[in-house]
Amino acid sequence: MRKLLMALSVLFVIGSLGLGQVLPPGVPRAETLIVHSLFAPAPMPGNWNLWAGWRQNNNGLHQFATEALWTLNPNVVEGGIINALAAEPPSYNEDFTQLTIKLREGVYWSDGVPFTAHDVVFTVLATRETPALSFHAQMLEVKEAYAADDHTVVITLTRPNTRFHTAFLERWGTLRPMPKHIFSQVEDIMAFDFHPPLSLGPYVYVNHDPAGNWALWRKRDDWQRTVTGMLFGEPAPQYVLFMNYGPPESHIMAMLGHELDVFQGPTEAMLVLLEQGDTTRSFREAWPFIDPRDLSTRGPGFNHLREPFNNRDVRWALALAIDAVEVAIMAYDGMVALTPGLPLMVLPEFKEWYFERLEPWLEEFTLDLGDGRVFHPWDGEAPWRLLEWAQQHHQVDLDPTDTDAVRLTLGYGWWRHAPDVAEELLTRHGFSRGADGRWRLPNGELWRIQYLSGTDPTDMAYIVALAVMEQWRAFGITVDHVPSAAAGHLTWHGEFEVSAASHGGWVGEVWGVHPDLHIGFLSLRSDLVRPIGEPTLGWAQRWSDPRMDELVRELELTPWDDLERIIELGLEGMKLQIEEMIAIPIINCPIVIVFDESYWTNFPSPANDYARSDNFTTWPQLKYILHHLEPTGR
Amino acid sequence: MTFLKRYLIPRLIQYLLVTFLGLTAVFILPRLLPIDPIQQRIAQYQTFGMIIPPDQLEYMISTLRSLFGLEGTLWQQYVMFWQRLLTWDFGPSLARFPTPVSTLIAWHLPWTLALLISSLVIGWVVGTLVGGVAGYYHRSKATRLLDGAAMVVRPIPYYILALLLLILFTHVLPLLPRGGGIGIGVTPEFNLAAIWSILLHATLPALTLIIGGITEHFQAMKLIVQTSRSEDHVWYARSAGVKDSTIVFHYVIRNAMLPRITHLGLSLGFVFSGALITEIVFRYPGVGLLLFNAIMHGDYNLIMGISAISIMVITTSILLLDLLLPLVDPRVRHQ
Repeated sequence: MRKLLMALSVLFVIGSLGLGQVLPPGVPRAETLIVHSLFAPAPMPGNWNLWAGWRQNNNGLHQFATEALWTLNPNVVEGGIINALAAEPPSYNEDFTQLTIKLREGVYWSDGVPFTAHDVVFTVLATRETPALSFHAQMLEVKEAYAADDHTVVITLTRPNTRFHTAFLERWGTLRPMPKHIFSQVEDIMAFDFHPPLSLGPYVYVNHDPAGNWALWRKRDDWQRTVTGMLFGEPAPQYVLFMNYGPPESHIMAMLGHELDVFQGPTEAMLVLLEQGDTTRSFREAWPFIDPRDLSTRGPGFNHLREPFNNRDVRWALALAIDAVEVAIMAYDGMVALTPGLPLMVLPEFKEWYFERLEPWLEEFTLDLGDGRVFHPWDGEAPWRLLEWAQQHHQVDLDPTDTDAVRLTLGYGWWRHAPDVAEELLTRHGFSRGADGRWRLPNGELWRIQYLSGTDPTDMAYIVALAVMEQWRAFGITVDHVPSAAAGHLTWHGEFEVSAASHGGWVGEVWGVHPDLHIGFLSLRSDLVRPIGEPTLGWAQRWSDPRMDELVRELELTPWDDLERIIELGLEGMKLQIEEMIAIPIINCPIVIVFDESYWTNFPSPANDYARSDNFTTWPQLKYILHHLEPTGR
Repeated sequence: MTFLKRYLIPRLIQYLLVTFLGLTAVFILPRLLPIDPIQQRIAQYQTFGMIIPPDQLEYMISTLRSLFGLEGTLWQQYVMFWQRLLTWDFGPSLARFPTPVSTLIAWHLPWTLALLISSLVIGWVVGTLVGGVAGYYHRSKATRLLDGAAMVVRPIPYYILALLLLILFTHVLPLLPRGGGIGIGVTPEFNLAAIWSILLHATLPALTLIIGGITEHFQAMKLIVQTSRSEDHVWYARSAGVKDSTIVFHYVIRNAMLPRITHLGLSLGFVFSGALITEIVFRYPGVGLLLFNAIMHGDYNLIMGISAISIMVITTSILLLDLLLPLVDPRVRHQ
């Protein structure tokens, strides 16, 4: 026993030498923010040329080094678009064939060279002339680009385009200015690795992992000469380390050992960290813990070129056969926001723009059951049913009488679980139940749905798919789960019946803080639909409708700042998608995040809501919110 | 002359044929994957925020196809594959375009080789020797203890074993790094600090592989020795008063070693494919994860590069084993 104790003591002494410590000498832990590198390993470690296709945006390049002309306001409560490198909003001529961009003065690259209009012009023209560069396709619309002076860019277009500036608007990926004094000296932009990267943002590159698992950044000495410094002030951490520890178990251990400040991962990992960590917390202190405001949705999508999914009543029957509250509980222990529309974000401004105007229509909306009978499918009480369940099983900090709080946490509502109505909708089209209770197709064959998903069991789309399949099976439909590593390829080519990723191809992903839904409707155009077997150019689900074509055309003719008209057209599009039940979005993708407040505090919370939580992991707006952090002094 | 005609030439022909067929399969199989590298790239663009106006998607697809060298007939691509192979050029990685495949392999392969060869050899030597001695003294208390330990450890799934050691040595006793190949800020150069950091980072993954290797080789060798210790020549040696240690090491273990040497040779060939789970759990920058990601992205060139090297090493290992076996085993020489 004594020997054992001595051996353990020796091990502890060795352990205290810090052999396992993560930071290099000279980088104090107390001045370093360590965030989870979510999409690791980086695809091209050491290659920072993100203009030449997908590089490693996520390891600090788009968070710290590059800067956009305009960007989404990280504060989703305030909403709106921020002028970043641009000094003012985009200015078009009358027929939208010329865009004038006024640039902010006093911004410098990290090597001391001033940022000017010549950088923007060079970027636009180089992108137009180099086919393989990102955003080349959009820049083909540029007839001419020139610098009217050091801080004014003029771009003339080959056709009227009210939304050309959105190519420079940072959502998650945009065309950001290149440093002309570097890139103009390069013979082949595609082959240039831009290593080490120059910064236009408030941090500079220090080091990276050649295997792509980490990247270390240091605050610029002249951070005041960046957009971040001018608009938001000094970022708190001296260093930021983007770190991938490997599997979730390693991240849990790292955070419990205070070697990770921000972690975004599976719900199981979150619950373990909240339970075992003394200094860990999520966005909310109590259930549902998560931040529900991601810009994407999850739920089944149909191949509209396949029988019987080209039948609107069949699609509605499949929706009414789902109890969304049960799905939320099964898939995520209820920690999600229900979303009935594509897209219907749970954000304050979005609620005002869209949900409040849509709600009366939803209440009135009916499905025709024949013989003069109608059914009202809208269930505005669904979030409260979810809350009621949670109050019986968890400690909850949501006040059921605070309608706004409930809706902006658990969603606006969903469709009634009405298997009897679903049955009517199916039988009127010749579907029948066999003696075994299983549904038959109109030709008498067993109805067997093939439900395609990816292979990652921790993926949200996969988890939701499992819950949906259970619902349909309980309703009597035979469902085969088809997990495939080639799910993306198969959906693109239309080789599926039902797919787990209904929101893909930008449908359902919008700006969030601007009401324009053009970005979400664009790929629904009917001229983009391709037959099964061919890669489609639009939405993989291949739904189309001339009414949507007309809406997209109308939106393209509507100026970006005519918000009323934009909202009007957006509402029309939403109603059309809902009437047609083009897919079944069920939940907004929950942001499952954990903060360790051992070294840093003042992360966002409902009471201190300065940013969406995932701005701390993958989003480029990270640089704008770091001034909120406060060191604990540990 | 007889050796050449009856042993060497048939094996050389077999070696060349198997290598050729293997490399041809390496060209064909990735193309049978239901994954299109162009689609993967476009999905990657879209996943990470790049909005491609649908009207211009077609243009982008054709640009990428020509950039990736995926134009032309399958036969033209096959001829190009052999031309590249003979100049040791596998072209650019499609998932990590424009980085050459050879650059990626050159960076990742040394990590894999250093970790796997050292773990394999240590596990093989220790497991084989201890297993040999334990097989001979199979009734001793120590053997029963070792046997019990091996029977407990060996069925543990590797991922669980790795995770247990990870928890023990990085969390309960924070002695070792959580993963990676080298410390943050340490450049992999030939100096004391770098070597120390590399060794420190390799300790835990190596330990998991060595433990697994020792138990496997221990059990296999013990069984062989237990069988061969009751053979006639061992009885005869014992009756003639030959010392136990001489019998164990010169008669029993030496004979039992032959199948184990074959096993070692084959195992060494397979190290070029990497150790995927080890690399995932410990974030080890080896070639296994590189190959896995290449498959997931439909990166034909990278799959071909790694697989081609692996196939050539495995077939060459088998040939060398075949050629070395007569030197080790007089029975083969006699035949």
